Amino acid sequence: MPRKILVALSVLALSLMAAADSQWVLQQSTLTYSVSHPLHHIEGVSHSARGKGLCHAGQCQFLIAVPVNTFNSGDSNRDLHTIQAVRGAQYPMVMVRTQIPESEIKPGTIHADLQVQFSGQTANFKQLTFQLVMEGKDIRLTGTIPATLTDFKIPPPSLLTIPIKNEIPVKVDMTWAPGQ
Amino acid sequence: MNPHKVKFASAIAILALVLVIPGVSLAQATGATLSGTVTGPSGQVVPNAKISIKEVGTGQTASAQSDAAGAYHVSNLAPGKYEVSVSAEGFSAASQTVTLAAGASQTLNVALSSGLSLEGLGFPQSQTQGNAREQARLDRRTRMLKIHQKLGLITTAPMLATVITGTFAGGRSTSSTNRDLHVGLGSLTAGMYFTTAYFAIAAPKIKGTETRGPIRLHKALAWIHGPGMVLTPILGALAYQQKNRGEKVHGIASLHGPVAIVTAGAYGLALMSVSIKF
Repeated sequence: MPRKILVALSVLALSLMAAADSQWVLQQSTLTYSVSHPLHHIEGVSHSARGKGLCHAGQCQFLIAVPVNTFNSGDSNRDLHTIQAVRGAQYPMVMVRTQIPESEIKPGTIHADLQVQFSGQTANFKQLTFQLVMEGKDIRLTGTIPATLTDFKIPPPSLLTIPIKNEIPVKVDMTWAPGQ
Repeated sequence: MNPHKVKFASAIAILALVLVIPGVSLAQATGATLSGTVTGPSGQVVPNAKISIKEVGTGQTASAQSDAAGAYHVSNLAPGKYEVSVSAEGFSAASQTVTLAAGASQTLNVALSSGLSLEGLGFPQSQTQGNAREQARLDRRTRMLKIHQKLGLITTAPMLATVITGTFAGGRSTSSTNRDLHVGLGSLTAGMYFTTAYFAIAAPKIKGTETRGPIRLHKALAWIHGPGMVLTPILGALAYQQKNRGEKVHGIASLHGPVAIVTAGAYGLALMSVSIKF
C-alpha cells in the first residue's frame, strides 16, 4: 500500500513538473544579414539581440528583438543608407515571435513558424529549420531566415544605378539559457 | 411586543434585504449565460485562465476558470453591462466589455497576447520608439547623397576630357583652339565638381555615427582633390596667360599639369573607394 501511494505521488509530482512554467533567456547572439550586388557582397552583423521564452502548459512563446541600428557592415555610410532604406529610424526594432512545443526543445532539428516585424511590416515564415545543440545547460540554435526585400515591402537600394538582389537571408546563431 | 424590539427587527430585515438583493439580482434564475474559449496568440487554447466578470453598474462580480479545452461558462447573470477580465500565467491580461440581455446566451471568445514585450526584454522606450523626424533626415541625406553619387560619376567624363585636351593645350603647342577647348572643359568640370561637393557637404549629418570603412578613405581623398580643384584652375589661368603672351609656361604656373593629374587621380580613387570592394 505505501508503495502504491509513493508511485501515485511520484506520478503526480512528474505531471506537476511537466506543467510547471519555465523560462529561456537569450545569452548571446550573432545575427548576420547578407546583401548581394554585382559589385559587392555585404554582410551586416549584430550581437545586440535580446530574447526571452516563456513556457506554459507545454508551449513556449519566444520574443527576440534587435535594434536595426546595431547591424554593422564595416562601413558607416552603407549602414546609414541601410537604416534609411529599411525605415529604421521610424521602425527601430526587428521583432521575431515564435511558439515551440516545450517537448521539442532538445538537441536535433526543429521546425518553427516565425512572425517577423521589420520595417513597419509583418511577415510570416512557415516551418523554418533550425539546429539545436546542447552546450551544458544552455542550448545553441543555428539556422537561416530566408528573408526578402519584398517580404517587407522595401524598395531595393541601388549602387551605381544597379539594384541589389531581392534576397536578404539572415543567419541566426543564438545561445539560450534556462531562466529563473 | 416592545415597539423598540419591533423597530430593531425591522431595521435588521431591511439591512438583510439590502445586502441580499444585489446577489439575488446577479444570480437570478432567469439570468443570462456567458461562455467562450480563451486562446493564446497563435490560437492555442489556454486552460486554467481566470475569468472575472464584473457588472459595471453594481460592481457585483462572478468568476470562472477555463477548462482543459480553454472553455469557460458562467450562468445566471443579470441583464446589464459587464467587464470581462481574463488572465493566465505567461500571457498578458485581457479585458473586454459585453452587454447581456435577460435570458440571453452569449459567446465571448478571448484571445490573450503573449506576456513578452520589448520593455520586458530590457530595451528602453527611447530605443524602441520610432522617430519620424530622424527618418525624414535620413531620407533627405540619402536623396542628397544619391545626387552626389550621380553627379560625381557624370563629372568623370568632362574631367577625363579636360585631362586629355590638356596634353594638346600645353607644351610646345601654340594652338589657341586647343587651349580654349581645354579651358572650356575645365570650367565645366570645376562647375560640376563643386555642385557634386555641395550635395555631400550639405547632406544632413547623423549624430552619434562613428565613421568607419571605405567612406573614411573617400572622405580623406576629398582633402586632396578638393584643394586640387581650387588650385588647378588658378594655376591654369596663369599658364593660359603665359601661353597667350607667347611665353613658355614657367614659375608656379608650370605646376598646373602635375596638380591637375594628382587631383584627377585622387578623384578617381575616391570614386573607386565607394564603388569597388577592396
